Amino acid sequence: MKRVLIVDDAATVRLYHRKILTDAGLSVDEAVNGIEALEKAMQSPYDLYIVDINMPKMDGYTFVRTLRADLSLMQSPAIMVSTESKEGDVVVAYMAGANGYIIKPAKPVELTLLTRLLLGEPD
Amino acid sequence: MALKKSVTPAIEDAAESLSFADLITRLSSVSVDERRQAALALGQFPEAVLPLCRILPAESDRAVRDAALGSLRRLGGVEVAQHLADFLRSDDPMLRNGVIEVLQEMPDATASLVETLLRDVDPDVRIFTVNILESLKHPGVEGWLISVVEQDMHCNVVATAIDLLGEVGSPHALASLESAANRFADDPFIRFAVDMAKARIRQE
Repeated sequence: MKRVLIVDDAATVRLYHRKILTDAGLSVDEAVNGIEALEKAMQSPYDLYIVDINMPKMDGYTFVRTLRADLSLMQSPAIMVSTESKEGDVVVAYMAGANGYIIKPAKPVELTLLTRLLLGEPD
Repeated sequence: MALKKSVTPAIEDAAESLSFADLITRLSSVSVDERRQAALALGQFPEAVLPLCRILPAESDRAVRDAALGSLRRLGGVEVAQHLADFLRSDDPMLRNGVIEVLQEMPDATASLVETLLRDVDPDVRIFTVNILESLKHPGVEGWLISVVEQDMHCNVVATAIDLLGEVGSPHALASLESAANRFADDPFIRFAVDMAKARIRQE
């Protein structure tokens, strides 16, 4: 079973995304900020990361940049999820190394399809 | 390393003895150490609020930025809070995070701005203001969150407030939470968030 790490400081968002992805047959873990996410990823890399942009301690951009700089983690795709819809944020997300960008609140179908696509499971 | 350790205190001592004008000049130094020490030393000058705020967006070194934010926190007051609140519009999440942390540590000054910020035309600014409330030690927090849940028209602002009400809210907030679920009846995330928040409040 593919493993996904949800990185978000909002408990409600983590649980909402967890439910969507668990229903899609994925194994889901959670982290409340980029630092905790990096610690978990270093212990056991995940197949995909779903990352909020605005988090205390370490924001999502910094987390994804750090992933892309680490040889053991750089291959895993990352989807950035944010409340922000400014064009510049999308550009920064992709420049940081994101593979996808979703505006909150994520629609279940959209999140599931993008996740499966990036995991190489288009169905 | 030993050499570096011996140099830094010397710069620190020198910065402490410099005039306000010299410290302002040093804020533009090519040396990170000099900029950081100047930013720290300026924390004793009330007239340094604007110069310290001005360097924040362009300062590339995190230690210098942290020093400037620390000095602004020490200076405190409504003027500092007003200038810092402008950076909630910044595209730089690290700067926004730093500003949010400082504003959370200035509860009285920040409280005077909350109602204005919660009426800002930019929903992101309203969301960041709700984020500030998360750690703002002030008796008005629950009331502000309830007003957002009852009145704000943007689902992400309301969702952020609902999430926080689940943490800090009392049974007094339950009816407002349900009203948000009714206002955003077509949004499954708001329904989910309201149910979660109500469950958490009832557990406590």
